Amino acid sequence: MIKLLHTADWQIGKQYGQFDADDAAVLADARFAVVERLAQLAVAQGVDIVLVAGDVFDAQGVADKTIHRLFNSMAAFSGPWVLIPGNHDAGLAESVWTRAARLSAVPRNAHVCLRPEPLLFPSMGLAVLPAPLTQRHTHNDLTEWFAAAQVPPGLFRVGLAHGSVQGILAEDIDSSNPIAAGRAEQAVLDYLALGDWHGSKQIDPRTWYSGTPETDRFRANASGQALIVSLSEPGGLPSVAQHTTGQYRWRDDAVDMQVPSDIDALLQQLAGLTTADVVTLSLTGRIDLPGQRRLLDAIGQARGRARSLVANLSALRFEPTPEDIGALQADGYLGDVIANLRAAQDGAAAESADVARDALALLASILDERRAGARAVP
Amino acid sequence: MKITRIRLEQFKQFRKPVEIKDLTDGINLFTGPNEAGKSSIVAAVRAAFFERHRSSSVDDLRPWGDASASPTVELEFTVAGQPYRVTKSFLGKKRCELQAGPQRLDGALAEDHLAELLGFQYAGKGASAAQHWGIPGLLWIQQGAGQDIQDPVAHATDHLRNALNASLGEVASSGGDDVLATVETQRNELLTPAGGAPRGALSEALKRQSQLDAELKAADADVATYRHKVDLLGGLRRDQAADEAQRPWAGFRRQEQEARGKLEAIKRVQTSLAVDRQRDEQVDVQVKLLRGRLEAFAEQEVAAKTRGVAVEAAQQALTAAAHLVDQWAARAGAGASAYEAARNLLRRARQDETRTSLARELDELKHKAQTTQTRLHQVETEQASLLGLQAQAAAAQIDTHLLQQLRAQSQQLRELQIQRAAAATRVRFRLVDGHGVQLGDEPLTGTGERLLLEATTLQLGAMGQVEISPGGADLPELGRQESAVSDAQAALLQRLGLASLEEAETRHQAHTQREAELKAIRATLKALAPKGLDVLRAESLAQAARAKEVEAALGKIPAVQETAGAPLQSVSEAETAEDGARRALEQINASLGPARVAAGNAQTTLEGAQREHQAAQALLNAPDRPDKLQAASQALVDARAEQSALAASVKTKADEVAQARPDILKQDVERFQRSAEQLEKSFEERKTALLRLEVELESAGAQGLEERCAALARDLAQAARRAEELRRRAAALDHLLKLLKDQRGALTRKLQAPLQKHLNHYLQLLFPQAHLAIDETLSPGPLTRGGPAGPESGAFEALSFGAREQMGVISRLAYADLLREAGRPTLIILDDALVHSDEERLAAMKRILFDAGKRHQILLFTCHPAAWRDLGVTARSIESLRMD
Repeated sequence: MIKLLHTADWQIGKQYGQFDADDAAVLADARFAVVERLAQLAVAQGVDIVLVAGDVFDAQGVADKTIHRLFNSMAAFSGPWVLIPGNHDAGLAESVWTRAARLSAVPRNAHVCLRPEPLLFPSMGLAVLPAPLTQRHTHNDLTEWFAAAQVPPGLFRVGLAHGSVQGILAEDIDSSNPIAAGRAEQAVLDYLALGDWHGSKQIDPRTWYSGTPETDRFRANASGQALIVSLSEPGGLPSVAQHTTGQYRWRDDAVDMQVPSDIDALLQQLAGLTTADVVTLSLTGRIDLPGQRRLLDAIGQARGRARSLVANLSALRFEPTPEDIGALQADGYLGDVIANLRAAQDGAAAESADVARDALALLASILDERRAGARAVP
Repeated sequence: MKITRIRLEQFKQFRKPVEIKDLTDGINLFTGPNEAGKSSIVAAVRAAFFERHRSSSVDDLRPWGDASASPTVELEFTVAGQPYRVTKSFLGKKRCELQAGPQRLDGALAEDHLAELLGFQYAGKGASAAQHWGIPGLLWIQQGAGQDIQDPVAHATDHLRNALNASLGEVASSGGDDVLATVETQRNELLTPAGGAPRGALSEALKRQSQLDAELKAADADVATYRHKVDLLGGLRRDQAADEAQRPWAGFRRQEQEARGKLEAIKRVQTSLAVDRQRDEQVDVQVKLLRGRLEAFAEQEVAAKTRGVAVEAAQQALTAAAHLVDQWAARAGAGASAYEAARNLLRRARQDETRTSLARELDELKHKAQTTQTRLHQVETEQASLLGLQAQAAAAQIDTHLLQQLRAQSQQLRELQIQRAAAATRVRFRLVDGHGVQLGDEPLTGTGERLLLEATTLQLGAMGQVEISPGGADLPELGRQESAVSDAQAALLQRLGLASLEEAETRHQAHTQREAELKAIRATLKALAPKGLDVLRAESLAQAARAKEVEAALGKIPAVQETAGAPLQSVSEAETAEDGARRALEQINASLGPARVAAGNAQTTLEGAQREHQAAQALLNAPDRPDKLQAASQALVDARAEQSALAASVKTKADEVAQARPDILKQDVERFQRSAEQLEKSFEERKTALLRLEVELESAGAQGLEERCAALARDLAQAARRAEELRRRAAALDHLLKLLKDQRGALTRKLQAPLQKHLNHYLQLLFPQAHLAIDETLSPGPLTRGGPAGPESGAFEALSFGAREQMGVISRLAYADLLREAGRPTLIILDDALVHSDEERLAAMKRILFDAGKRHQILLFTCHPAAWRDLGVTARSIESLRMD
């Protein structure tokens, strides 16, 4: 009986350009933090060994500091770590791994597999069969050698690979770094630990993608997890448990605003955001002056709560009601201008329509401020 | 609007209260000289409206030098039929009251009411300035400011627009211009006002975006380079490992060695071939030598034969030559004998001739000698007598000159003695004998006479002495002369060895005798021996000698004997015979010589031929010659055999070399060697390249290139987002500003038309057919007039000062009309306006003002009352006001 922690796709060194600088820095840091949590989880779960199925680093050319920092983050678990390179950190002639070795950053208990040869842990009765990527992209199945791999009998045979299992997802048919479906069975593996997909996913009873332990993109279902795999005896089916490890929830919300109550629902949703949330909000539909006022207020407040909130209002049509305009005291030629802009935001040319929408919102806010100022004076 | 009453107190020029009442509709004309207070009244009206009564910046309203004054102005006026009265005191007693119809307002409220009513603003702080004056600022023309229209219009535009909107029935925008200003400000923060180029935050954002973009591109390029190098490293390592395993250069080295072995073998064959060829050449030379030697032996025999023949020929030639010599020699002998004979004959002939001649000569000589001898004797005799005579002559000789001198001296003495005797004291005595006296030293006895020439003592013995002194004066002198001459004569005689002149004369006679005798003897001698005795003697001796010689010679010559058959010939005959014989002999000898030379030559030739023949024969007869000949023949046979053997060997080896192609073999060696070297070199180079690449990559890797790239990409995305946001905001603001301006402009344009109408109304009175444009700010624009060459257009600013002033006034009147139509109060104040207008224009302007005065109240202040006399109104004198 042995217990494995299966994780992958740490993507250390990843930067987040789509967010503001502060948020991006925090999210980049989160990738180190989750490795620390993984080590703690390994200790807490009493696992025998940690398997990292590739894409440990987001890129080959990370700073020396980043390399040191990563391996330091693993310190809490003193048992063996087995890491293989993935497509982002392939074991090239000169790679982040060779640099890590040169920097003496790799701790003794971390085994970086750069060659496809069995790694034996006789004391725990385990043979790890790694399929490291030695090119950025390969169209060969690097796990092919697993079946023929000679290991002493009686050991658990555990495969460790990075790539796309063929035939599971249509769009992955031609993807590089292919892994044949049914490899675990064909190569008589007790368990095949895979990396590359950022969502946690079971392929067959003995084959899992652990997914990334900390979500790094909006479209990654079931990411932010690690797997605790228990193997009772060689040949027996593994028992796999998913553990949430991620700190941040990434959401990409699209809301269509048509009636005033839609605003209420949205505001409620925004009110529920916490520091664990990384949100992109895309709004469509229409909104009147008070609605816009409330929406902007709510977004401003939510930004203070959420880790990151990116709101895209460019597709939201601003439609002040006659009452709104009256309230804005847009008399004289100002009224003419507002009418002109309202008409233009429905124009055929998307660009000029966008400009008209922006201009209308601006004018409304200026008038609103004036009115508010006027009200404030007496 | 119509002002009905103005009252001032403690105001500028007016320390005392002054009141202007009964102001009428239309034009009110105020006249007065400078400093009379016109401008003080205008200032009062302006202050009543423009200045806050609490303002502390209005000290200039006080009368000059009165620091405690409280300038006060009180105005009564009506607007739209409603009466107003405003009272304002400044500085000392700050107060403001406004009675507007039934309403009464105080302080700031009163002031604000007035501002609203007339359309102006108050200064926030300090004194009111042009930008606050609004509509009144436009309609109230200050002294010398009539031409300035743009700024007053600009300051009044908003008020104008507000005021006029109503008249146009438009919904005026209450806050439009504020919004517009806000939009414009915000827009101009992001875009340049003129070009709409990015500025401020937008510009910075765009700059940052492009900067990051460039940095990212550079970093991406670095990463691409890095990746390429990593791939290169992998490839190189694979190649290197393959090379290390396979060692591809080893095969080439082996092949190179094989080719080299083959090349060496064929080179040995080539060397052997070269040796054979060299030997062949040597044998060839040897054969040639042997052949030469055999030929030489043959030639020796031929030469011996030839030489023999030559000896025979020479022998024959010699024989012939000798024969010839013999012939000539014989003849020569005969010739020589003949010649000898002839010569003998000639000799004898000559001898004979000589002997004859000598004999003859000897006879002559003997005769001559005899003669000479005879004469010689005569001469010698004569000579002896001559010598005796000469000795006598010489002894008797006396010098003729001395003789003459002696003769002269004797003569002189005689003359002197005569003279003395004549002069001397004659002492005659006759003494008894036995007695004597002594005269001087001379004892005198007897009788005598003495002539005393000098003082002489006459001793008279016992009787004493008598001193006699000659009395003649010159007696001593004569005595001295006589003594002198006598001494000279004595000396001369002494010299001549003579005793007296007579002796001298005798000698002289003897000498002359001897000389004559000598002369005769000498003549004789001359005849006998003309050349002297010695010559004659020598001649005699010579003749004797010659005779002796001839005699001896003759003795030597024997007498010629007559030989048989050869009669004595004459010399000439003998000579001719001798000459013929000699010539014959010479001719013979001339032939004999060459014959002998030819014979000699023949002899020499023969000897040479014989020597050569002997030598040739000697060679033939050499004892080892047969052996040598034999040896040479044998050697030639041997050499020929070796030659053919060598030719076969050379052909075989040459064929072998040709087949092996050493040049190609050499190329093979080179090729394999180079191939191996190339591979080894590339192996080594690759090793170096690997090392370099590893170092490069290590150092590049440490820079965290891709992480930096990711960071740059992140920053770029953020910067791009910000730039896009700002760009959108700028675009929206720009668009909004454009719309607002367009709308506002459209509104303004609606105001232009009525203003234009009023403007034209006045303009036609000044410039018929002219047109003054109105721009968007409602300011007067270009003026178009009819000129000699069609319509002329010029900017307002380009007009003359006077014309601008006129346009300024006209424009203001037009604004006033417009305002009046909009139901707004209008009051026009002209303070010394139009002073720059000429008479004609001023006349036109007066018509215009009169017309305007039908609709508006106009207060016109002037210091030129005469110029405005025809305005049809009563002028009020400011000075007269003071007197009231």
